[in-house]
Amino acid sequence: MVSDNTSTPPSPELPHELRRDITVWGSYMWGYADVGADIYAALGLVIAAAQGAASLAFAAAGIVYIMIGFAYTELAATYPVAGGGHYFALRGLGDFWGFTTGVALLLDYTIDIALFAVASAGYVNFFLPYFGIEPSHFVFMLGSLKINYLWLSESFAFILFLIWLNIIGIKESSLFNELIGAFDISIESSVIVFGFLFAWKPEYLIQQWQTSFPTLHQFMYGSSLGIISFVGLESISQAAQETKRPATIIPRTSVTLIFTVFIFATAFSTLSLGVLPWQTFAQHIGDPIATLAHAIPYIGLFAGPITALLGATILLISANSGVMSASRLTYSMSEFGLITKWFDKVSPKYRTPVRTIVVFSVIGIVEMLLSFLTPQAMDTLGNMYAFGATLGYLIVFVALIRLRFSDPYTPRPYKMPLNLKIHYKDRIVDFPVLGILGFLGVGMVLFEVILTHKIGRIAGPAWVVLGIVYYIYFRKKNNMPVTKSIERNWEAHQMDVLISAEEFDLAEEYRIALKERDEKLKKHEQIKTDR
Amino acid sequence: MIHSTLGVIIAVFFLISIISLLWWMLHVPPIIPQVAARAHREVEALKNLLIPTQGMAYSERGVELACRLGMEQNATLIFAYVIEVPRTLPLNAEMGNEDKVAQEAISHAEQLAALHKMKNKSLIVRSRSAGEEIVKLAREQEADVIVMGIRQHIGLKENILGRTSDIVLRKAPCEVIIDKLPGEEET
Repeated sequence: MVSDNTSTPPSPELPHELRRDITVWGSYMWGYADVGADIYAALGLVIAAAQGAASLAFAAAGIVYIMIGFAYTELAATYPVAGGGHYFALRGLGDFWGFTTGVALLLDYTIDIALFAVASAGYVNFFLPYFGIEPSHFVFMLGSLKINYLWLSESFAFILFLIWLNIIGIKESSLFNELIGAFDISIESSVIVFGFLFAWKPEYLIQQWQTSFPTLHQFMYGSSLGIISFVGLESISQAAQETKRPATIIPRTSVTLIFTVFIFATAFSTLSLGVLPWQTFAQHIGDPIATLAHAIPYIGLFAGPITALLGATILLISANSGVMSASRLTYSMSEFGLITKWFDKVSPKYRTPVRTIVVFSVIGIVEMLLSFLTPQAMDTLGNMYAFGATLGYLIVFVALIRLRFSDPYTPRPYKMPLNLKIHYKDRIVDFPVLGILGFLGVGMVLFEVILTHKIGRIAGPAWVVLGIVYYIYFRKKNNMPVTKSIERNWEAHQMDVLISAEEFDLAEEYRIALKERDEKLKKHEQIKTDR
Repeated sequence: MIHSTLGVIIAVFFLISIISLLWWMLHVPPIIPQVAARAHREVEALKNLLIPTQGMAYSERGVELACRLGMEQNATLIFAYVIEVPRTLPLNAEMGNEDKVAQEAISHAEQLAALHKMKNKSLIVRSRSAGEEIVKLAREQEADVIVMGIRQHIGLKENILGRTSDIVLRKAPCEVIIDKLPGEEET
């Protein structure tokens, strides 16, 4: 049953579990927090690369993203537990791949914390001169490097605040996202509506399309950056174990997120190229929304403070999403014996995985310090981010296809569209055609990332290899198989998950499916014995 | 000042799309309690429905009810007509036009199944006791449920059920659904 929401301490004999406090709006906002910030940051980069065809680049990336989204929707609704991609890979492909996916995604989430806390603090600095504080005065020299210690302190304070917020409860950290996210969606929608009404010139867009169409290489680079801007859908899955009625809610929040983000991305890029030349965005890669808002009548006057506020808040909730996701991912990895059991603890008071929240946010802080110590660090983090996400997604697609064959009895409240019915071991299996297309699409993006991101192709795999070295050491030390998986009763586990999530209808469907399978097997055995 | 009509259309389309998506997302279907969920799924799991028929109005009503019960899960309907042969006669004895009546009853049931586009198979069997035979068929055919319509007036007033339905209710290896319309005095 759902955990009690009162302050009564739980029974000491029972293991403490995560608390289901996330509502439908909260679930949506965990995803939006991450993806919304990615678009905010990537719009300028994509326009600079794909020039007059930026909308097309976003649309092309969006198609791959939609396929990833459909895959995650199916898997998160079918397996509503913390862990996201790592859990799906674990169920479909076994412990080793579960770990590899987890470590690749962990890279993204810790970078999320660092990258977005720093960027959010950067936007906050916009307001400080109004209070008589000039951020550029707070610098000290470290060798030849100029370090802004005010900015560094702000970023540090933000991460500490997010650690505290995530420790005191998922309800509190979710509420933070819900309120700020609603504000951000309203502001972004206003910019788009005002822009299309009062500043957008279709002839200007057509002219840029005709005169500044990119080369194939530029377009591919632009669309690979576009896919990076869609990273973040995973957060909904990470929060699944704390979402109320996840199998019902997650398909709704995921599908809504997929399409709202796709609409926002294509609307922003189409609007931008109908208002300003692409070169302007290429010159203002860091603040594309502010550049755009400045050129829109009525809201142009407030463009500076509005977009700074939007940037500061959307990036902060994205960092919050990073703290939540990194902690739930590692909590799940620990629960399944992929990393040390020390992380598999939930605070009896707050019902949050305090240890993973603190440890992996501290890794985020280390990455943040690196970004201040070297001017290339942010680039490196960005490149590694792309590598981690695409590698994780690629394995998830394989797991999705495999699970259709190996686990056909678990009810799927949502299935990826476009399936081929094929016969497999006396059963009819829905083979996901979009799963294959998605695998190829993400594979191509991973290839592009390796080909075009010089630092990412070294640093990204290095992180994963380092993780695998730890995995081998940990499993050998604890007398656990390295290449094989630990025996687990997935059926009992799945039933517990569905009951605890109050998804009784699915639990009954699962029970009946297993009963029918057992009866069939019994009959086969009987026939064999009779012969 | 508005620059283009297309811009207005896109702005309106954008707003409608976002609002409708969020509206849909926020309207989550209500929770199904565990007991209700069990009932829902167990009825859905009824895949083989055995329907004894006699070609009378009440048994064809039973056929129709079975069609509707099995339609959602695309169940298989098994129609059975049992020719009761008195113990004084051999089982394969000539029974007048009983075979023809049986054939007609089955044909009516198949027509109803065709109306609902449902899979079905038919059996005409001879037995000493219709009730015992229906129970035996339910076992052989692995029926999940027996659906039978029974007549409105059954002999003695204190007997609610007839002999056949009484045996079926007592001995059936699966769920039994009896459909009986109210008698004249009850209406």
